[in-house]
Amino acid sequence: MEAPTLSFSRPLFAKLSPHPYLLRNLSPASPADSPCRTNGRAPHEARPVHIHTGSLSHAHGSALVRTGDTTVICGVRGEALPVTSIPQYRPKTVFDADNSGTGIGRGELKDYDLLVPNIELATGCAPQFLPGVPPTALAQTLSTRVYSLLLAARVVDPANLRIWYTPPKEGGDAMDADEEDEEESTKPQLMAYWVLYIDLLFISFDGNPFDAAWTAVMAALRNIKLPQARWDPDRETVVCSRANAAPLNIRGLPLACSAAVFLEKEHAEGGEGRHWMLLDPDRLEESLCREVVTVVVDCSSGETRLRSIEKQGGTVVGRELVRGFAGVAEGRWKEVSKAMG
Amino acid sequence: MADRRRVNGPVGATIPPVFEDEEVQTQETQRVTRSRAPNGIRKMYLKTGVTPSASGSAYLEIETSGKDGVSGLKLSCTVHGPRSLPRSSPFSPHIILSTHVKFAPFATKQRRGYLRDPSERDLGTHLEAALRGAIIADRWPKSGVDIIISIIEGDQDRETSGAQGDDTWDMMNALSGCITVASAALADAGIDCVDTVAGGVAALVKDGGETGTARIVIDPISSEHESIEAACCIAYLPTRDEITNLWFKGDMPDHDMGIYSELVQQGIQASKLANRVLVESLGETVK
Repeated sequence: MEAPTLSFSRPLFAKLSPHPYLLRNLSPASPADSPCRTNGRAPHEARPVHIHTGSLSHAHGSALVRTGDTTVICGVRGEALPVTSIPQYRPKTVFDADNSGTGIGRGELKDYDLLVPNIELATGCAPQFLPGVPPTALAQTLSTRVYSLLLAARVVDPANLRIWYTPPKEGGDAMDADEEDEEESTKPQLMAYWVLYIDLLFISFDGNPFDAAWTAVMAALRNIKLPQARWDPDRETVVCSRANAAPLNIRGLPLACSAAVFLEKEHAEGGEGRHWMLLDPDRLEESLCREVVTVVVDCSSGETRLRSIEKQGGTVVGRELVRGFAGVAEGRWKEVSKAMG
Repeated sequence: MADRRRVNGPVGATIPPVFEDEEVQTQETQRVTRSRAPNGIRKMYLKTGVTPSASGSAYLEIETSGKDGVSGLKLSCTVHGPRSLPRSSPFSPHIILSTHVKFAPFATKQRRGYLRDPSERDLGTHLEAALRGAIIADRWPKSGVDIIISIIEGDQDRETSGAQGDDTWDMMNALSGCITVASAALADAGIDCVDTVAGGVAALVKDGGETGTARIVIDPISSEHESIEAACCIAYLPTRDEITNLWFKGDMPDHDMGIYSELVQQGIQASKLANRVLVESLGETVK
């Protein structure tokens, strides 16, 4: 009597033994078939990205980014921080006109914590992210990465965040000040800063959270419209006007691109066996790969500028692969910046 | 209180934007009055399956009233379960429901923190009571189900001052939205329920100053009326004609108990209208 043959459906096979399943898909038996991943994409193919901005009415800027099944919503709110509330505040008498070289501007953002990004994963977006627990290591890592990239890429110009006050001349009216000094009138004083609270909420999680989160942050910052603010000396606080809400002057458009490295042998040492770089990994692929590379490029000025290279988890990706990957990141930049409009 | 696991802002307290006095006054004189019929609810958009990795999920959006600054309601719900309980928990012959409602930090006029505050826990308790009556709990012994709701945008008028106490009435609208969206997500997850439960709000409002008369409207928005005297949020099962949760708040004249039952009846009406939208969208999911 012959033993009955077992045959599994594809999703069942994916659940029982994911590594061989993905390996079989990437290295097909016949050379005519091109390698493809379990989600049907080629290894260098990323999911299309959809961006909607301005949908929240209580936030000064907002963006909803959808990359496949990963959905993240970002809301940016500005609140005023009087300089009197800053401990050990020392007024700077000289401000860089364009904040390009010496990094004085960056000092303000970092010293006074003017940018506050936070990523919330515990919204039930995936079965492993249930609420009621403090932020997991992944959430903390993502928040920190977004924070350090925001400061390093210098996209926000601290000049937009300063709130000035010019004390009136004798017999004159108080003016809304700008930064130029006039010889006759008194010098404008810096009375407060705008603090931007950048909150990201993951509604659905299917891999590659950093790319989606960073795209949402950039889209929301470009969408933000801060109300016009002035310092009221009588009430000693910042008073805003809805009349001319102005957008921020965002420098450049750095966008992130990540890939995971899938090894033929699960516990390979020293780079034996083949490897594939899977662009924009989804949840299944992320769970099977230990090594991840993220490159942030900015092509908005015409030439490609590399803003950040991060890689962790393994030793497969070296200089050559990173160089090649930067080229892939350029292509991804064009796709995403087109979606941003 | 610095949370070490999150990026904290500056040590000093930040002030939310305060707007010029003249502007606030002009906004008040331009107050939009209710254009819907007293027994009509706002348009709702309900979609299931927004989070594929969860057992069930749903997204609800209620339209804004068209005035600049008054937001609608945007809720996202995910259901995880039925899943096995941890080993340490005692045996339970029926399914254990755990609800979690959270406002996003950018959802309301005042920025909210990341830790749940008592009002959110209160909403979670009301939601659990509303859903417990609808789920057939005996079919799933030794299991638990997690219902997580994120309120992306709360129902709040940006210009109306906080002194008017709008927070309570907005909580009621939020609760009725939570009940409807949780019901859709439960159906999407395939958890057995006796009926679909939908939420509805009815309120006793007063317009026209001191001499105005009070009338009952459903699906109230606090910015459309001068004052809301009392409101009631109902979770109702239409086929079985049962109320699973009733939350009543406000001041009512004590000489007329008829108003109370009238409010409840109107709340049931609002529930039925919301239920129609719910059933229609679930029908589309099945197709």
